[in-house]
Amino acid sequence: MKRYIGIRIIYLILTLFIISTVTFFLMKALPGTPFDEEKLAQLPQEQKQMIYASYGLDKPVFTQYVNYIKNVAKGDLGTSFFYTGQKVKDIISSRLFPSALIGLQAVLLGLAIGMILGIVAAYRHNTGWDYATMIIAVLGVSIPNFVLAALLQYFVGLKWGLLPVAFWESYPSSILPSIALCVGVIALIARFVRTEMLEVLDQDYVTTAKAKGLGTMRIMFQHVIRNSLISVITILGPIVVNLLTGSLVIENIFGIPGIGSLFVDSIKMNDYSTIMGITIFYSAFYVLVMLVVDLLYGLVDPRIRLASGKG
Amino acid sequence: MKKKKLGLLASLLVVSAMFTGCSFSGSDSKPADSASGQTTSSAGSAKELKLYVENEIKDLDQWKASDDVSFTVLNNVNEGLYRLDLKNEPQPAMAEKVDLTEDKLTYTFTLRDNAKWSDGTPVTAQDFKYAWLREIDPKTGTNGYSFIMTDYIVGAADYAAGGSADKVGIEAKDDKTLVVKLTQPTPYFLRLTSLAPYFPMKEEFVKSKGEGYAIGADSMLYNGPYTLTSVDAASGAVLTKNAGYWDAANVAVDKVDLKVIKEKSTALNAYKAGQLDRVLLASSDVNASKTDPGFGTGINFKTTYLQFNLKADGVSNLNIRKALEFGFDSKLLADQVLNNGSKAATGMIPDEMSGIDGKSFRETQGGLVGVDAAKAKEYWEQGVKELGKAPKITMLVADTSEVKDVATFMQSEYKKNLGIDLVIDTKTSKARGQLMDNSNYQMAITAWGADYDDAMTYLDLWANHTPYRGNYESTNYDKLIADAKKETDEKKRLDMMLAAEKTLLNDDVVVVPIYFGGYSFLLNNKVQNLEYHPYGNPVDFKYADVK
Repeated sequence: MKRYIGIRIIYLILTLFIISTVTFFLMKALPGTPFDEEKLAQLPQEQKQMIYASYGLDKPVFTQYVNYIKNVAKGDLGTSFFYTGQKVKDIISSRLFPSALIGLQAVLLGLAIGMILGIVAAYRHNTGWDYATMIIAVLGVSIPNFVLAALLQYFVGLKWGLLPVAFWESYPSSILPSIALCVGVIALIARFVRTEMLEVLDQDYVTTAKAKGLGTMRIMFQHVIRNSLISVITILGPIVVNLLTGSLVIENIFGIPGIGSLFVDSIKMNDYSTIMGITIFYSAFYVLVMLVVDLLYGLVDPRIRLASGKG
Repeated sequence: MKKKKLGLLASLLVVSAMFTGCSFSGSDSKPADSASGQTTSSAGSAKELKLYVENEIKDLDQWKASDDVSFTVLNNVNEGLYRLDLKNEPQPAMAEKVDLTEDKLTYTFTLRDNAKWSDGTPVTAQDFKYAWLREIDPKTGTNGYSFIMTDYIVGAADYAAGGSADKVGIEAKDDKTLVVKLTQPTPYFLRLTSLAPYFPMKEEFVKSKGEGYAIGADSMLYNGPYTLTSVDAASGAVLTKNAGYWDAANVAVDKVDLKVIKEKSTALNAYKAGQLDRVLLASSDVNASKTDPGFGTGINFKTTYLQFNLKADGVSNLNIRKALEFGFDSKLLADQVLNNGSKAATGMIPDEMSGIDGKSFRETQGGLVGVDAAKAKEYWEQGVKELGKAPKITMLVADTSEVKDVATFMQSEYKKNLGIDLVIDTKTSKARGQLMDNSNYQMAITAWGADYDDAMTYLDLWANHTPYRGNYESTNYDKLIADAKKETDEKKRLDMMLAAEKTLLNDDVVVVPIYFGGYSFLLNNKVQNLEYHPYGNPVDFKYADVK
């Protein structure tokens, strides 16, 4: 187990290195500079060059790359070009909390409701329950979350005044965005759980369990649901990463200072160090979540317990 | 057996995702009363303004900032020698008075005795000299605004190019006397001193903060009507009245809560919920809001225009350019498509920009451009004859929704009036800028916002011959600009600028103005004198009041 995790961490570092290298050169291929070109157009060429030089942008791209990787190895993600003087590390950590909180709430809420709906639908297969659940699921997938966000903002926030319209001021500010984000998760999870459960219900061991005279509840919880969770865990990884790392549209609609809008803005503004910082952070997070997902498989299904005994 | 470990790992993951200081920004400054949805500004004695900006507060370092949002904050927490008043006229601010020599080249500013920094120390002439030299030096003044000094101050251009700081015509004679020498008479110099790059800053303070200067409310020093209580790039800033400000007695509003809202619909909802005192309207909301008592419109000195690349195929032909100049109806565009307070451009210099003798530049000059389909068609046919074939025309535009709308409109107009199929090439702003810099375009939509209230802020642009400005080289035009800059007689100077605009638009057709920027807004009727300037610093909270 330890060895397995150790190897995975080595892979993680390798992955990060490759991702940052590719991102760095792709990013340098973006047109323009981090500066206000409209204003710089007024300056003589030499002065423009001096401005670039003061940020080390006059050096060959490869030299910039080597310097950057050296700094990252030391744990220094550099200083933003756009938010002058601010450390990329500080920017990311201050922007992460709102996105992560909203994302986490959306995942938990989506997971809970989605599983309940999926289980009910499978258990009451081909009944009104099933159809109702699947209609909800289809709606959840097909209504874009920003439409829902705008509706929630207008009705719950403005018309009924139950929750804040927007901004990030206190805990209630996080509720509407979480709801807007979780609907997609509900729909996805419900459909997955339903399909998986229907399949598991057809398995021989379920028939055996029934033949043994086990109670319906016991069969459902001990055998069916647990075995249906494998596929849920598989899709949960990307869902978690997606939601915890922010959503540009939802953040903009609710005026939330999250990391999703930071990433998009940094690309638009050629804020090199921030682009790199967030890329590295996202990748590391993604790879870590994948590791956790792999470990969770073993927890849910003993058949795929990893490298046990041999390591 | 391994469940514990896994559980631990899973919880670690959750914690790691939330490792930051878990706080809701802004909550420290204001107890959350969002549910009530009522405006509280009229109740109690403390007067508060609740406003927003449409982009992040990216930068409060005056030598690096170049965007409107940063200037919105800076202009209210700091102050230059002069400050614009409600009529957009410069009034003495840090300076108490100025003496100007006969040749209009040497300004002697006397600073106020009670001009103070927020740490209690007096604002000195040395603070201005330090800040200005730093702006001129390309190693520290990286906002690209140094031209706003190097174009005027003696020796500044040489210093920017690596020369000596001692030869720059900025002299701190004593603590309260600042002498500035200009290379040419500049009737709008006092207006320039109201701009953020001209703000003073205390050397000692900047040095003590080092790299951490201006990254937070406590790493800045203030000399304006407000101080920053808190600032966060993505959520906003809270400004509190500066009790030590020289004119504090005339500052009515105690607190300004400035949020960052990027979505127009969000801002409108927040305004309706009483959480904002003013909101800018999207074109689609304008018609529905016109009956609202808080409805109003305003203008910016910002002209959106079509820039021709005079070296590019097709548009290098004058008649083709003329055809494109007269081939679209910008009035229809402004009223029907934009519908946000923007006006059809009648020239390069926006309406209301100063001329002389109380008449605006535009009034004196009259309209130079406007749709004339028949004439446009004639020019086009003539151009095609000269070229031997009909050129393919491609228009380069940035990928913002407003510009894309404009491009689509012009495409349909050219189809209707000239019978041509315009190709629209949409790129990100950065990519568009690079293509223009590399002279790799035929014509492009671009815009320029005035830095100061004088036609020279526009006309000067085409005297630098860069690809970005269409590779325009005309000795006649350059001479008009150079002479106007030297001219001490305001009437003669204006005549030269009038001639320059005509040359640019009618004789050489280097650019085609499309529309003058404007905006529509809703304002809480309790708020008075909240002055949004059409140029330079965007807004002054100093004069505002909440009844």
